[in-house]
Parts: sequence; structure tokens; C-alpha cells
Amino acid sequence: MRTGKVFVKGIYQENPIFRLALGLCPFLAVTSSTENGLGMGLAATFVLVGSNFIISLVRKLIPQRIRIPCFIVVIATFVSLVEMVMQAYSPGLYKNLGIFVPLIVVNCIILGRAEAFASRNGVGLSLLDGLGMGVGFTLALVIIGVIRELLGSGKIFGHIILGSGYNPALLFILPPGAFLTIGLLMGLFNYVEERAKR
Amino acid sequence: MKEIIKFGGLLLLITGVAAGLLAYVDSLTKPKIEEQKRLEGEEALSWVLPQVKEGVIIHVCSKGKTLYYIGYAHKDTTDLVGYAFLAKGTGYSSDIETMVGVDTSGVITGIRILSQKETPGLGSRILEVKPGETEPWFQRQFKEKKADQVAVEKDGGEINSVTGATISSRTVTNSIKEGALNLAKLIEESKEK
Repeated sequence: MRTGKVFVKGIYQENPIFRLALGLCPFLAVTSSTENGLGMGLAATFVLVGSNFIISLVRKLIPQRIRIPCFIVVIATFVSLVEMVMQAYSPGLYKNLGIFVPLIVVNCIILGRAEAFASRNGVGLSLLDGLGMGVGFTLALVIIGVIRELLGSGKIFGHIILGSGYNPALLFILPPGAFLTIGLLMGLFNYVEERAKR
Repeated sequence: MKEIIKFGGLLLLITGVAAGLLAYVDSLTKPKIEEQKRLEGEEALSWVLPQVKEGVIIHVCSKGKTLYYIGYAHKDTTDLVGYAFLAKGTGYSSDIETMVGVDTSGVITGIRILSQKETPGLGSRILEVKPGETEPWFQRQFKEKKADQVAVEKDGGEINSVTGATISSRTVTNSIKEGALNLAKLIEESKEK
């Protein structure tokens, strides 16, 4: 596989949210605002890159049969690091994301990439893969965050965009809004893909 | 047998390295986190004791632990306006800490839930803010209540619990009630002295 492709596929072809539909739980929960979405995306990207790096580094030392517990320990370590640093330097974000920060451990994208990619590829490629997937995940979170925040409260990053004339559609910052938005966007992605094939 | 020892040893090594790394980062971030918590506590204090405004809040300590806080309306510690305390209780999946302010007649002036890690969508809704409002509705209910009114409806009190989260609601409520009664006792004791 070409190096560039490894990076790009996480953003488009194999976008964790829109194409693989992985990691939807934290995704649906935190995207009620752009800032939360971005924070969650960056935290997950850091964990992805870190765990992919370490796992590809030690992949030859880890016996097949105990690989999952080993992966989980590596991932959990990175998540705990993120949690501590976030708590110390960005307490507001930490409060908003709440339980979803520790829950990054069980985010299926991260273990999925460790299993499907990092345990089979070299360090460089694994780093790129982690970064690509992370960027794809973050991008998806930000897109949905922007849509939901804009429609749901008329703001982006907390700045008022749609003036007082706009009556916020509360539905969009509530859970059903997340499902609606992601459904429509997935549909759009599929449509574009179909068109491209023809 | 050999395999078990090998696998076990390897896992031990990996977890050992992980633990070492975490301990190191923990030691780096701990002072900062404590500082953030302290700031948050201070902010919560002035929130639950709004009458203090320009005045001063004094920590009453015993054996290095803060027992409760006394709020004065003036910097020279005159004009006592109220007390505050930190209520703690174990909820469904976490410890819940709440800062509570009461005025001199024992009426609650405000509460703020400081930390909780309850189930998202259920217990965490004790912090749910209704659209267009700024304060969580569950939290606001405690205002202007006395300790004997503080109990969830199921227990014959006046606090509406969060739907599907009776345990979390009850924990907050009971910890506040307990704390308020305890505070009254402590104040009584200090007066006797």
C-alpha cells in the first residue's frame, strides 16, 4: 500500500464514523457542541497515534494469544495520560466530556486499528494510519458538532452565528438530532460514492 | 505451564512499564489538578453563598481537614451571613461531591454539584440543564429548603428525583441533609465553647 494512501484512507474511504460506523457511542454523546467534538476528536487521535506506535513497535514480542490484553493495557495507559493532562490543563473540557474520556479505552476504532493495522505493519505506516484515522474521526466529530450546534443553538464554537431572528431547533442538540444528522451524512457519503463509481 | 509463566511474565512487564509511566505523569499533573479543584471549590463557595459578595469566607478546619465554611458580608469578619459545607455521598457508580450553602437560619441558599461520574444519560442528568436555563433543574430545587424538607419524594420529601436515577438523586439529597444536620451540630458545639 502506498504511504499516502494509508493516511488518506482514514479520512475518506475508511472514515471511522461515516464509513466504518465505529465509535458511534462517544460520538453521538459529545457532539452537541463543536468544541466538545473537537476535544474528543483530538483526545482520541492522540490515543490512536500513541497506541498504534507502541503496538507496532512491540508487535513481534507479543504472542498472538495474549495480544488483546496487551493492546488494552497500552490503550488504557494512553487514555489515562490524556485524562490526567486534560484534567490539569483543560478542566472545562474535561467536565464537558466527563465519563467519555475514560471510555475512549473501549472505543472500537482504537482497538480495531491496533488489531487490524498496527499489529501487522511497521512503525511508520502505523503512525500514519493512526493519524489518518484520528483526523478522519476528528473531522467527522467537528462536522457533526458544527451542524448540531448551529441548528440547535445558532452558534459555532460558542459564538453566535445565527442572530436573534433564528429560533434554535433544540432537537439538534438532543440525542435524536445526533442520529438524524449522522444518518443524513452517511447517506450523503454513500450517494457521493455511488456517483463516483459510475 | 511454561507458557503461563511466559505470558504472565510478559503481561507483568507491560503493566509494570505502564504503571511506572502513569505514576510519573500523575506526579507531574497532580499539583495542577489539585489547584484546579481548589479554584473550582472557591467558585462554588461564592456561588452557594451569594450573600457574601464582597465579604470573606473562612475555612473552619480540624486536623487538617476543612469541616465547614463561614461566610461574612464584610472583610473584617463582621456580619455573619451563612455557612457552607462539602457534602459527599456514594452514588450509583461514583462519589458525588456537592457544595452546599445555608444561611444563618438553616435555609439552603444554593448548592452546586462539584464532581460526579454517574451513568451518562441517567445519573449524570442530575446536572442536566434545561434549554434556555443556566442552572441544572435538579440542583435548583434545593434552594430555600430547610434540612427537614430535603428528601426525595419517595422518602416523603420535596425533592423531585431524576427519572431513572433514584440512586443518584437520593445520594445527593441525603448527603446534603446529613451534612446540614451535621453542620447544625458543629455550630452548636462551637457556640458552647
